[in-house]
Amino acid sequence: MNTEPALMSLTAVAKAIAEKRVSSREVTQSCLDRIAQWQPKLNAFMAIEAEEALKAADAADAALAKGNAKGVLHGVPLAHKDMYYDKGKVVTCGSRIRKDFVATTTSTALRRLKDAGTVRLGSLQMVEFAYGPTGHNPHYGPVHNPWNVDHITGGSSSGFGSAVAARLTFAALGSDTGGSIRMPAHFCGVTGLKTTVGRISRAGAMPLSWSLDTVGPLAQSAEDCALLLGLMAGADPEDPTASALPVPDYMAATKQSIKGLKIGVPTAFYVDDLDSEVARVLDETLAVLKKEGAEIVKVELPDQRQLTAACQFVLATEAAAFHKRWMIERPQDYGAQVLMRLQNGLAIPAVSYLEAMRWRGPALVAYLAAVEGTDAVIAPVAPMPAPTIAESDVGTSHDAEAVIQRVTRFTRPINYLGLPSLSIPTGFAKTGLPVGLQIIGRSFDEAMLIRIGAAFQRATDFHARVPKLS
Amino acid sequence: MTRPTAKEIKAMTEVAGVPVDNDVATRIANSIGPAFEGFAPVAGTLPFDLEPTTFLLVQNAKAEQ
Repeated sequence: MNTEPALMSLTAVAKAIAEKRVSSREVTQSCLDRIAQWQPKLNAFMAIEAEEALKAADAADAALAKGNAKGVLHGVPLAHKDMYYDKGKVVTCGSRIRKDFVATTTSTALRRLKDAGTVRLGSLQMVEFAYGPTGHNPHYGPVHNPWNVDHITGGSSSGFGSAVAARLTFAALGSDTGGSIRMPAHFCGVTGLKTTVGRISRAGAMPLSWSLDTVGPLAQSAEDCALLLGLMAGADPEDPTASALPVPDYMAATKQSIKGLKIGVPTAFYVDDLDSEVARVLDETLAVLKKEGAEIVKVELPDQRQLTAACQFVLATEAAAFHKRWMIERPQDYGAQVLMRLQNGLAIPAVSYLEAMRWRGPALVAYLAAVEGTDAVIAPVAPMPAPTIAESDVGTSHDAEAVIQRVTRFTRPINYLGLPSLSIPTGFAKTGLPVGLQIIGRSFDEAMLIRIGAAFQRATDFHARVPKLS
Repeated sequence: MTRPTAKEIKAMTEVAGVPVDNDVATRIANSIGPAFEGFAPVAGTLPFDLEPTTFLLVQNAKAEQ
């Protein structure tokens, strides 16, 4: 066992607590110690609830001593993106508008993790209302990348990427509407799972765009994500859009070989205009997958630029509709960039929005036909490693939307198609910044992504590397 | 698809109940213009019998196979 419990993986620490090799208090204190060291440099946490966390950890230890373990995550301390309603807790959604909002319900995803025994450490920073891919927040300040604090974490789940990478929490819940889980996973060197639309209930999670929003985990490894997904997935009477399809044994997928699997690599779009370091890491990753027995095949995908445009129509229109009342009553309380992007949605005609929605089915059919015969597709998450905070602070500048679109151009098509995608750390740039790749699967086939991700992580150690406090 | 002009956007935001000034309308036009151009090959060419729910039918049909 690591001498510092906070450095263990989620699955390892859960097992260690269950076997009483370490107490929940020791683990929680270890996380709190790291938070105290790192938080001044990272700004990853929105709220730190040290006293309550230790009290809950003591209660977990007492229950375990009596043989009353709640579930597989009994006594494991976690923190989540500050947009999951937790009854009685302030949930800011990264905004000034909701800075005093106290949730009256608990989100289904969070409740399922609590039912498994987790302890709450606090809440994690995020981009205002989850509407931005860089991690800047005018109300609470930018979150910093633990690999180099001058660089962004990616967003919108900014605190979640930073905190998991620095090992301040074993895992976290995030959301992905246009890349908000995969982007921080890529920029911060951790593993993030964007689930199929409908795989995890969205009840009690702040909406941004209800047609595109997905809930998913970020953790050290594909195995940790598998554990969390298995706990959260499945039908929910509080969210009729949650799928009733059976929940597979995702942990079993982590043990399977990838020998004989066919993994597709796009011939265009996802490989265009790549930073040379991202291109190098992609080549090296394909070599590892080949060595593990996978067959790499080229795939010609339909025009992905149209998917990006269609995604922008859906996201911008639904976000504007959701925020309209506050845009009228409290425009001064929004950050300038978020207000600017919300205003964009006002200018999209209803017919254009509905055309984008109608095209989703045919677009998915065309994509699935193009990848027929493959088990998954691998592609970069973004064309570059994490930019600096200064260079990506575009605010309301003339080219702000263009910069945002460039950062998210490889993630948005997948949101539009509603597909699952696992972002795994696959290497490091010469600058020391992590580089991740996304493995894209078929609807509800998260198990395949976990299988490939876990096999890659058995063969490499990128996911196990920890940034040092400078 | 034709990108809307700043003048058209100003009118649309007024109808939506969230009016913006000329500068903001111009900024919006520049900001979302590329999306209208990107979606152009598809817009207006979709089959008549296509419903928005087709996406869910495709998603679930593939998953159940």
